[in-house]
Amino acid sequence: MEAGPQLEVLTRRLAECPPDFLAEPRRGGAGVVQVAAVVADLLADWSAPALTPAQAAAFQAAASQAKVNWLRLVLLACWLWHDPWFVRRAPSAQAALTCLSKDLAGLAKLVPAPQCVLDPDRREELARLCLKGLGLHPEGETPAQAQDRLNALDSVERQRVIEAARSAEARSRAVREAMAAKAAQEAADKWSRE
Amino acid sequence: MVEALTQAQRYPFLTGDGRRLLEWLHESEFAPRYNHHCGPRLTAQGLGRVRAFEAEVRGSPPRWAPGSPPGWVAEFAAFCLREVPFYRRYGAGPRDFAGLPACRRANLGREPWAFVPDGQPLDDLIVYSTSGTTGHPLSVLSHPETAASYLPLLRAALARHGVTLAGGAGQVACLLICFQQSTFTYATVSPYLDFAGFAKINLNPADWRGPDDAARFIDACRPEIFTGDPLSFDALARLPLTSRPKALISTAMALLPGLQGSLSARFGCPVLDTYSLNEAGLVGVARPSGGFALLQPRLYVEILDDDDRPCAPGVRGEITLTGGCNPFLPLLRYRTGDFARLVYDQGEPCLADLEGRPPTTFTTATGLTLNNVDVSVALRDFALPCYTLHQAADGALTLRLPADWAGRDQVRATLLRLFGAGQALTIQALPPGAPSGKVVQYTRDDAAN
Repeated sequence: MEAGPQLEVLTRRLAECPPDFLAEPRRGGAGVVQVAAVVADLLADWSAPALTPAQAAAFQAAASQAKVNWLRLVLLACWLWHDPWFVRRAPSAQAALTCLSKDLAGLAKLVPAPQCVLDPDRREELARLCLKGLGLHPEGETPAQAQDRLNALDSVERQRVIEAARSAEARSRAVREAMAAKAAQEAADKWSRE
Repeated sequence: MVEALTQAQRYPFLTGDGRRLLEWLHESEFAPRYNHHCGPRLTAQGLGRVRAFEAEVRGSPPRWAPGSPPGWVAEFAAFCLREVPFYRRYGAGPRDFAGLPACRRANLGREPWAFVPDGQPLDDLIVYSTSGTTGHPLSVLSHPETAASYLPLLRAALARHGVTLAGGAGQVACLLICFQQSTFTYATVSPYLDFAGFAKINLNPADWRGPDDAARFIDACRPEIFTGDPLSFDALARLPLTSRPKALISTAMALLPGLQGSLSARFGCPVLDTYSLNEAGLVGVARPSGGFALLQPRLYVEILDDDDRPCAPGVRGEITLTGGCNPFLPLLRYRTGDFARLVYDQGEPCLADLEGRPPTTFTTATGLTLNNVDVSVALRDFALPCYTLHQAADGALTLRLPADWAGRDQVRATLLRLFGAGQALTIQALPPGAPSGKVVQYTRDDAAN
């Protein structure tokens, strides 16, 4: 993992995100922004190969709200990666596309895209995700520090922990209830004292 | 009030011979007044798994080199850390097995449900309660196949002494002898032993219809073996029995060599001392050549010091268990509260100087410090079924013996030789009614330490 730009540069860039990147993705006759075109522009600025038709199709808006939210996060990531630091270095386009399709898809299920502009913690989370997706960490941090900080902010991980805790409590309750029921029931024979 | 199961739940399958023997055990002329019903609850598939376990017990006796856990331990520990809520709290990340924390009876007592793996179905859960005379009362969660797995281990223990538990239709395989104020008593048959019979009986006269019925019933059963504790065997030996068992299996309390010898002479068979606990089942059996052989193929035994570090071979510490055959209670470095040394006899790990309770030091009249093992050794030739020794803060000793035990003066003389002629010593009777679990045999007031 290599050092990237300063984190504050990226969070400031997100905070100053132009309204165009927050506009509704185009779907059917509605919406404004062709997300596939925005991604294609980014790759062109990075001097990367153009999107294949199949890759471009992934950025066509569908009916589901979750998909629309994901597309909005894709727009924000493209805005972030248009920062001159990235354009000068032309990072791996494949890594960027993987980050968009996997990391941002998880985030999209939990965090409305505008929060990644308005909320400082979510801004930092998106910035760190976009750095990590390219194999980078913020300048001035070690990879371990960067990972620790991302873990602390990680909405997906936090949701997983909450669900795990909820599931564990439900399981614990089920075992306790079974114990109470079975304790009153005759057991199985034991052939010696212990 | 115990919720009774149906006969079909107790015996998911039952042969005609098994049914007839079960009826005889309940209805024979001299049968006790059973106060409980209980069965193996073992399905045909479960029986198959118990037989597979028997093959493993025979084919894969526990073996490992000092400080090198057997190969299955790493995978088992990973399973516990991933699937068991209590162990999951230890945190993630690669760990050396010897660096894992130990847990103990108090942890289990507080939240037994936290030791149940996430994926373990709860349908066949059974719950055993222990009285907790050694410390904390305990609810032990278990499974019918775990209970049935006791029998292959029992067979392996007997085989160590050249005895075969055959079972078979119409045969009573075992009587569990109790001698106490009250306890659950019941009769059952075992599909594992081709529906041979088993009964748990209490020699307390109140459990029988006539004064001679206990002896008559036992003789009518002609069991292959007796299981029980030293106190109940002492009572059994006084009955005018003519039946000759193949062996006696002693559990739950320390069996002193003196009593072991007299019981062996009385019944004309070996008397096996075993190491067994509710949390893990039958762990070991005393070997004719000394020490306790370990029986379970997937039970790793360590001896730990106070800081959860493994003791070197031959160094005394707390017996700590990993593994077992109870799907509701996977043990990961479980401190048993019992103490021993782990020695290796031609590559076989064995427990030596096993004492089923924390070691206690005593102070003699001249200020010397004695280990409780010294007291055990001094009293070993007495046929004592049970005793306790306590040292008060002022150094005075109180020895408690069975009320009707005749050799008090000899025991007093032996203890005064050990502690010094000036030692204050009171001998009292043990409280009425036999203890119902491990006895805390050696104690002292903290101020005396």
